[in-house]
Amino acid sequence: MTNTIQILSIEKTGKESSLQKEHNNKSIKIIDGYFFSTNLDNQKFTKISKLISNDVSQTILTKKNVNMILSSYSNFNWAIEIKFLPGVTDNIATTVKEIIKDNLKGSFKSFELGSTKIILIKGRKEDITKISKNEANPLIQTIKIYPFKKYLNNFKKNYFKIEKVKLPKKKYSKKEINLDISDYHLSLIGKLGIEENDKSRRGTLGLDLESLKAIRNYFSTIKRKPTDVEIETLAQTWSEHCKHKIFSAKIDDIQEGIFKKYIKGATEKIIQLRKDNFCVSLFTDNAGGIGFNKDWIICHKVETHNTPSALDPFGGAITGIVGVNRDCLGFGKGAKPIANTYAYYLADPNKNYQLYRQKNNMDPMLPANFIAKGIISGVRVGGNCSGIPTPQGNVYFDDRFAGKPLVFCGTVGIIPKKIKGKLSHKKKANPGDIILMAGGRVGKDGIHGATFSSEELDPNSPVSAVQIGDPITQKKMSDVIIRELRDENLYSSITDNGAGGLSSSIGEMAKESGGFIVNLEKVPLKYNGLYPWEIWVSESQERMTLAVPPVNVKRVIKRFKARGVEATIIGKFIKKEKAIVKYNETEILNLDMEFLHEGYPKLNLKTSLPKIKKEKKKIIKKNSLIDKLHKLLSSPNIVSKEFIATQYDHEVQATSIIKPLQGEGRVFGNATAIKPLFDDEKSIALSQAAYPQYAETNPYDMAGCSIDTAYKNLIVSGANSKKIAILDNFCWCSSDEPDRLYQLKEAAKACYEYAVAYQTPFISGKDSMFNDFKGFDKTGKSVKISIPPTLLISSIGVVDKISHLTKITPDDGDILVVLGNTRNELRDSVYSKIIGYEKSKNPVVNSKDALRTYKNFEKANKLGIINSAIGIDLGGFGIAVAKMAIASKKGLTIDLKLKNKISVDQFLFSETQSRILVSMKKNKLVNFKKIFKVSDYTIIGKCTGLDVIEFKDNKKIIRGKISDFAKSYKQNIRGL
Amino acid sequence: MNVLVLSGYGINCENETLYAFEVVGFNGKIVHINDLIQNPKQLNNYQVFAIPGGFSYGDDTGSGNAMAKKIMTNLYDQLINFSLKDKLIIGICNGCQILINLGLVPSLNKKDPEVAMIENKSGSYECRWVDVKVSNKKSPWLKNISTLNLPVAHQEGQFMIPINLLKSIKANNLIGLQYIDHHKKLAKGQFPFNPNGSRDDIAALTNQNGNVLAMMPHPERAFYHYHVPNWQNNTSKKFGDGYKIFMNAKKFFA
Repeated sequence: MTNTIQILSIEKTGKESSLQKEHNNKSIKIIDGYFFSTNLDNQKFTKISKLISNDVSQTILTKKNVNMILSSYSNFNWAIEIKFLPGVTDNIATTVKEIIKDNLKGSFKSFELGSTKIILIKGRKEDITKISKNEANPLIQTIKIYPFKKYLNNFKKNYFKIEKVKLPKKKYSKKEINLDISDYHLSLIGKLGIEENDKSRRGTLGLDLESLKAIRNYFSTIKRKPTDVEIETLAQTWSEHCKHKIFSAKIDDIQEGIFKKYIKGATEKIIQLRKDNFCVSLFTDNAGGIGFNKDWIICHKVETHNTPSALDPFGGAITGIVGVNRDCLGFGKGAKPIANTYAYYLADPNKNYQLYRQKNNMDPMLPANFIAKGIISGVRVGGNCSGIPTPQGNVYFDDRFAGKPLVFCGTVGIIPKKIKGKLSHKKKANPGDIILMAGGRVGKDGIHGATFSSEELDPNSPVSAVQIGDPITQKKMSDVIIRELRDENLYSSITDNGAGGLSSSIGEMAKESGGFIVNLEKVPLKYNGLYPWEIWVSESQERMTLAVPPVNVKRVIKRFKARGVEATIIGKFIKKEKAIVKYNETEILNLDMEFLHEGYPKLNLKTSLPKIKKEKKKIIKKNSLIDKLHKLLSSPNIVSKEFIATQYDHEVQATSIIKPLQGEGRVFGNATAIKPLFDDEKSIALSQAAYPQYAETNPYDMAGCSIDTAYKNLIVSGANSKKIAILDNFCWCSSDEPDRLYQLKEAAKACYEYAVAYQTPFISGKDSMFNDFKGFDKTGKSVKISIPPTLLISSIGVVDKISHLTKITPDDGDILVVLGNTRNELRDSVYSKIIGYEKSKNPVVNSKDALRTYKNFEKANKLGIINSAIGIDLGGFGIAVAKMAIASKKGLTIDLKLKNKISVDQFLFSETQSRILVSMKKNKLVNFKKIFKVSDYTIIGKCTGLDVIEFKDNKKIIRGKISDFAKSYKQNIRGL
Repeated sequence: MNVLVLSGYGINCENETLYAFEVVGFNGKIVHINDLIQNPKQLNNYQVFAIPGGFSYGDDTGSGNAMAKKIMTNLYDQLINFSLKDKLIIGICNGCQILINLGLVPSLNKKDPEVAMIENKSGSYECRWVDVKVSNKKSPWLKNISTLNLPVAHQEGQFMIPINLLKSIKANNLIGLQYIDHHKKLAKGQFPFNPNGSRDDIAALTNQNGNVLAMMPHPERAFYHYHVPNWQNNTSKKFGDGYKIFMNAKKFFA
């Protein structure tokens, strides 16, 4: 009898070789283990072992063979056992359980199962500790280190145990909270959470004193005390994450707030000016929608998942990507996700920042490279497993992200304009509709996620805030919704369960009908023992909430079941504007919908001009031009991100038409395109841009540059300028400080002005306002690290014809032309960071000049004048030249006889915006000149087809080999 | 000519796979594995059984294993019968991993899986375009094709084959496709030409009749010319190389 099955891969697995390489140790072997809650007899052991292993590549360890087999690999002396903490999603265990149940049918009554990884090593104890720290995250996993002999002993004695969630058996009785207490005690509830009977606190609610007073007033008017569930619900619904209080607050003299004035205001102004029906659904739904062709709508949404990714990088990132996928599923009646986007803003993975959340080197921040690797993997697994291509993204490094990484995850979706004759983007839960929860079950995952992602990361950040996504459960659910239920019109409304869980999804949907009644005891749970408030606010993943007319309910549940998806009736929508929650017939929540959604106190914010630090003058390094180019090309923010592009499946769905790696020389592109429909040549071009490095100097110009770059990249790729929309994701810091709010206001103002100038509506956006780390360094000194204000602009555009799509590779004999003029704008550039700078300005976008360039480019491209094109951004013109040459493997000659009063370095490396480097056949030059004003372009060189890039001025020619540049450009990022 | 394209539990390339079959002239249907288990007789209506790519069961317990076990438990005899008839079966990527775990290829001892799919030598997921040459020219799927330029996208694409079996595979000419380098020579395990380190550069295997093909590269993703990287440099052709595989299926029944 045994209760564990342990499986060994005969050959070295990829994971083993990377571990061996990383730790310079050849004696490492990994065992996959499964622990059962019951003992298995011999027959069951053999049968199950066969089900979960492959006997060609794997061996099952038994008490008899274990010594012999393991000793054939090495003389191991340590074993590291890594298990998930009880209650953490264990996807492998779920699969194994399903295979066993399917195959052994009734012969097993019930059993629990947990998966584990056991790493066997021969090495020194200190190395083992290091390895174990790198391989597991104590927040979600337990790590046990045994001497190898003890591991063998355990194995033979059946010592392995699975740990189940053991929640104290608690009988729920309705809990009323007394708010008639001092301000001090009131604020404790907000900061530390509701007090339990044993005096412990539940964890932060993120409610400030003013909000708690508003709650107290409401309940004193209705003459009763609030229940714990009511306070928890209000905390979720009113959180910064859900209500965007800062964006909607009165700020200085802007009564309506910066969202209404600048973001929504820009879109409204544009709709008024455009007079077309490009914008379909904006700001009100889970994602923003625009017209694609006469029959289809596309939607786009970008989310951040910063705090969870700081705590559990893999889990945070995978949850981020599958979470934003659900925003698409929850767009209108449900859009099919057709592309993922990503953008990571990270600390230098090669540095050891040694930051701690508590004094005395306690509670350390995870190492920067662990965070970077985890985030990259999380999005890989989430996207690849869901069958959604991930073509578009970027990564940027800066020390100021050491306390908090920024993880932006986006999804594009597509949906027919009409479903069974009805507009698909309109949905309405009707009174009487059943509330159906479909997908995963509910556990303690992510309790207090919405409230704490609005707070700074400090020692009290709760660990149960971590969720782990399960893309397969979601894929099963998504397939049923998009392919079957939606097109039969079986439900009237749908939304995703994200931050705030049911409390938020049902609360939002009920606005459509009036109100709701929910019976919480009906919600299926991962394990018993959850309090009602926990069920109500849990952020367990992979769930959608549907409003289903009673007549369809049976059919809907049956269809879900047939596809292996659980769906449960948990309540109904009502006409009365009341939010009512019951638990076993006890009413535990009864609020007016109006108070639930609008009862929070509006903020009144003031800003003040921040002091701008003067630039310190640095000495310019006296490297040669070629040397400088190499230095920039190999710097982490410019170097190729090919290693990410090749691990993210961008070909699935067979839609990839402009790929992330471009040209024979595989240059990481600024924009990508997909052709989403089999029978229409229209394509979707995607790009994004953010310039956190420009923010402190001038946030207004920073925002202008982001919009200009995101827009320019789509124009360069061949998109129709009239069919480009943008999304705003503000990640700010210390948003309670007037100077940070000043920067925010400036950036938002630029959003308005540039969006209106470019006529690109904002269709969706999100903000995350407190990306600060407060803690201690290794000496125990308290430190605060704030991210630089970061505004990610994502752009999405329609390319009308395949022939409009451009390439970045010139051909032999092509003439090279720079569109747009170059100014001395080296401040905050990559050059200034790496080489040094003299006095210079920060990049400023002149929208009038920019638009003239873009319009003319679009015209020339449609006429077939342009042969290749690349947008000029980070690193400036010199980098664009190098990328063109590397991509095409064709030499370029650049003429540096400059007409402006500008030095060679300024010309080559200035990050002046709105410029494009293009190439064209010689005979197209005549037509080109008919379109462009002489002052708007410079003929700068030609494509020689040799193997070198040449820079010529009056005196000399400097050459560098393309293959050498390619080597610099493709260097590995240290620490990754 | 009817093709059944399997779906469910994380398979995710069914739409584009069905589309490729339809363009060359097949009628087809995407059928959820649970519906097929409910009504296995519907297999009689089809001439081609296609298992597309994806991440069935999230690759837990090894890529393709869990889905193969589900098929073994519920549909094994029906599928074996299908393969013994004058019909075609193709498994692409995850579908290939499923067929290997079912033992439908190379199917030399007709019992249990004989080959395993293991993790790429690089240890990471590889999404990239590769060149392959056709080795088994008798398989109906691969007739009259010499080389193909196709994308791969997998974490576990390495064929692990015991030495003795490899000998019989070669003797019986069951290697479907092999990775080649820029000079059209065998990649000899060299990355990135051979993206996963597969022994003998194996990218696909067939059964003895050649009617069952298990291939790691994705022909449905290389169907039109604009799927091919840098297609702007060559817009003269309408189709990419993947088209040839689907056309061969059509020709087999024509």
